[in-house]
Amino acid sequence: MNYIGEDEVIVVRDRKNTINVLVNSCSHRGNTVCRAELGTTNSFLCSYHGWNFNLDGTLLAAPGEEAFYRGELNKSDWGLMRAAKVESYRGFVFATMDANAPALADYLGWVGRLGIDFIASRGEVEFLDGVHKNRIKCNWKIAVDNLYDWYHVKVSHGTAMRVGFVSEEAMAPMSQMVLLGEYGHGIGGPGISEAELAAFDARMANGGDGDAQWFDLFASRRVDPKVRAELGPVGTRSFGHPNIFPNLWVSITQQVCLRIPRGPFETELWWFNYLIKDAPESQRRQAIFAQNHVFGPAGLLEQDDGENWSHSTRGARGPIGRMRPLNLSMGRGRDQVSADPSGQSRIETVVNEHGQRWTYQSWQEWMLADSWQELIASHSQPPTGVV
Amino acid sequence: MLLTFEAQEFLLNEARLLDARKFTEWLELLTDDIHYWMPIRRTTQAKELELEFTKPGGMAFFDDSKEILTMRVQRLAVGRAWAEDPPSRMRHLITNISVEGGDANELSVHSNFHLYRTRLNSEEDSWIGSREDLLRRVDNRLMLARRHIYLEQTVILSQNMSSFF
Repeated sequence: MNYIGEDEVIVVRDRKNTINVLVNSCSHRGNTVCRAELGTTNSFLCSYHGWNFNLDGTLLAAPGEEAFYRGELNKSDWGLMRAAKVESYRGFVFATMDANAPALADYLGWVGRLGIDFIASRGEVEFLDGVHKNRIKCNWKIAVDNLYDWYHVKVSHGTAMRVGFVSEEAMAPMSQMVLLGEYGHGIGGPGISEAELAAFDARMANGGDGDAQWFDLFASRRVDPKVRAELGPVGTRSFGHPNIFPNLWVSITQQVCLRIPRGPFETELWWFNYLIKDAPESQRRQAIFAQNHVFGPAGLLEQDDGENWSHSTRGARGPIGRMRPLNLSMGRGRDQVSADPSGQSRIETVVNEHGQRWTYQSWQEWMLADSWQELIASHSQPPTGVV
Repeated sequence: MLLTFEAQEFLLNEARLLDARKFTEWLELLTDDIHYWMPIRRTTQAKELELEFTKPGGMAFFDDSKEILTMRVQRLAVGRAWAEDPPSRMRHLITNISVEGGDANELSVHSNFHLYRTRLNSEEDSWIGSREDLLRRVDNRLMLARRHIYLEQTVILSQNMSSFF
């Protein structure tokens, strides 16, 4: 069970191995036909009057078809609503309700695809049983804003550093890289220069001798030339947080997080957790430890995020408070988008707010467009030159 | 009966320390090898209730050793642990205590709890659930050696869980 916006959808694999995305609402009185979060079933039987739907959403049977509907119920017209498009990229399934939306690969663009490549390039992954879910009284956009935010770490999460749960070096690297893609996708966060990558390679060639750097752990996952080719020359040097616009965060903790709006003032966070299939047991244990202790409502970091996001929403909600434009100026006009022969344009800089500005600008364009056709025509291309 | 009384005294005293924010003293009630665990709960069909809770070793809201619990307590003491600064007001109501098994040195104890929290002017959280504890006798006093917490929520309806259950 999942959501598209505020609509509950059933995501179900049928007997032909096809993944169906169905709106969880019976075509007779709107009742939900699936109430379990997970599991298996042969069909979806509406608990109200017994309309029974196949796993692909078609209406199989309704009680009293002959006796009450007098044989006039055209069942082929009354299946569950299906997502207009269901497509997958490297095993990640996306759905849209709009038949005019672009093809998934085009929608993701190179930045969105790279965000998923960060996961898929690590080999076969398996998602673990159990999704951490909780509700925060914040607007969903503040949660998205936060994934690009390497400015809050020392203050929001200072206590986690003080007690030695995470190191300041790993949590607040100065060296940052931002990649911006069409339709609002972005990757922002730690990134290393070509020189730093070369220095890493030299250290590894010497058997890892020399002073370890904060990025060694990340870079060591990308020594395979095949992986580097997949990620590209710039992507290889980015260890940032991708956001698949609008609300899917690919976290460096072997997790992806959906931020699902529950109206303007509440957001549900769903943390999906995965392991690399051929990783040694010690690494699997380490990943599970991080997945259970960093984020989620009891996470040693995210406890404090929940507090700050709900209060950012609350503090800016009053009639006077909401009139004031907030400050999103960090780094504006001071950085340069550098092109690369590979096509992977990027900003290499210090802590900044380029990702946030791109998110809000894109969001505004989405809201102002009446249709996909209009958005395709009107949306901004990612910036070039000085940003 | 005597063991039940002893277990009850232990759990009520523990709750009193937590409600009084005496977290360092609370840590002293825990054995060094404690496992403090709260699985993720899901809504399932009646025929698939075995899927209701995640399994040990997998995903969980709490999966803590003494070291991690100590960090949680230290974080609160540092100041600027924003989820608890200003500190929440908490009350543990512990009921239905029963000794389910074990012997005088290791007791398996079941209890139900209602943890009620308010924050600031108007924030309110209410967590109800059950606990399966292992109380071990060390140097002639009981200590908490294992706690499994089963919450009556699937989606946690709170912005954080910065309390001890």
